Amino acid sequence: MNIKEAIPFKGLNFSMSKLLLISMIAAVSIGSVGCKSQKKLAREAAAKEAEAKAIQIEKAKAELNRLLDDNSGLSLEEKERILNRIKSMNLNDPEVNALIRQVENKLAEERAALEGNAGGAGNMEAEQRLNQYFDAIANAGSITAANRNINEALSLFSTPDALVLIIISKSGGQKDYDRPTSIKKYLEYLKDQKKNINAIDNIVYDSQGKIKELELIKQ
Amino acid sequence: MSKYQFIFVCVFAWLISLPTLAQDDVSPERKQAIDSLALEKVKDLGKYISIIGNKDTPFSEANRVIERAMELFADGAQMGVSSLNREEVKYYGVRKYFERLMALNYDRVTIRWFNIQYISDLEKQPDGRYVGVITIYQRFQGESDDGLKYMDTTKKDITIYVERKQTQIGGRVIGFWDVLLGDIRVTETTS
Repeated sequence: MNIKEAIPFKGLNFSMSKLLLISMIAAVSIGSVGCKSQKKLAREAAAKEAEAKAIQIEKAKAELNRLLDDNSGLSLEEKERILNRIKSMNLNDPEVNALIRQVENKLAEERAALEGNAGGAGNMEAEQRLNQYFDAIANAGSITAANRNINEALSLFSTPDALVLIIISKSGGQKDYDRPTSIKKYLEYLKDQKKNINAIDNIVYDSQGKIKELELIKQ
Repeated sequence: MSKYQFIFVCVFAWLISLPTLAQDDVSPERKQAIDSLALEKVKDLGKYISIIGNKDTPFSEANRVIERAMELFADGAQMGVSSLNREEVKYYGVRKYFERLMALNYDRVTIRWFNIQYISDLEKQPDGRYVGVITIYQRFQGESDDGLKYMDTTKKDITIYVERKQTQIGGRVIGFWDVLLGDIRVTETTS
């Protein structure tokens, strides 16, 4: 049988090769349009996502600024709840992170104030105890005694990795620091070197009243 | 080169050097604090070496102290080791040196550093680092139960590197002075 005779639309005078060519062009055109549509959709989705994140960041900033406002009318527990919710969003925005730190410090102060003189005295007591531990570790008669004091001192901190900064100079309003270390390493340093030459300059507490950052100054 | 071209080149070179000159703004008080910091690190090393060499130090403690001592050194730093019984000075990577020190074949070892002072002040280099040399004297004494005893005093020169660095902790940038010890070279060994 002749091939041309087998084509149903023989009357339209299409050859088999022309039909194939048109089909291919149509397929490529449809595919290209589909691909372009997918890319466009992906771009739109990314833009929507970015927009949603930007809105979240703006909302978080507004809420954090509200928490920094003394007239917010919120209880300390409510503020802490809002702060924890924002922290759990992991927005990873420098401005939000800076505001979170400010709010954390403010709420820690409010927590201490709420606990009244007992809280303030508690902080004073923690500082005194810390000084006593520093002396006890540096002057310990044995490794065992030093280690026992180290473990007790660590209980005052939120984590053994709590940041310790040592100021070597405060000249002209500018602070110069030694290489930052952790409280565990610093306490071990006191044990090894048997000297306690740095004084406590500043303590930052977390919401649980534990020390999360310690600033020392060379005497 | 014409006179005007020469003046132009000089002015251009001065303008380029301005940022570097601005970074030199370390007041004498701050410089003194940096000098003291470096001296303190050398004293700390002396104490660490004494602990590592001491036979009364438990193995785990000695290993922990080795790690602390390693943090004082720049990468690739070497330690010179001398003896009254030989002419040459041997050089080891600092970790190897600490491990050998811990395993010395004596029953009692005491090491003490003294007369620790600068022999070359910290000076700023073109790359921004400060480099200086601190000298120390080390008194070594090793004794064995069978009566074997060795002691010497070694003078050693320690190259010091101090660099301004920044680190980010909890989203906060903290600038600090990083003191790193370089090679420790033996310059004299006496009994």
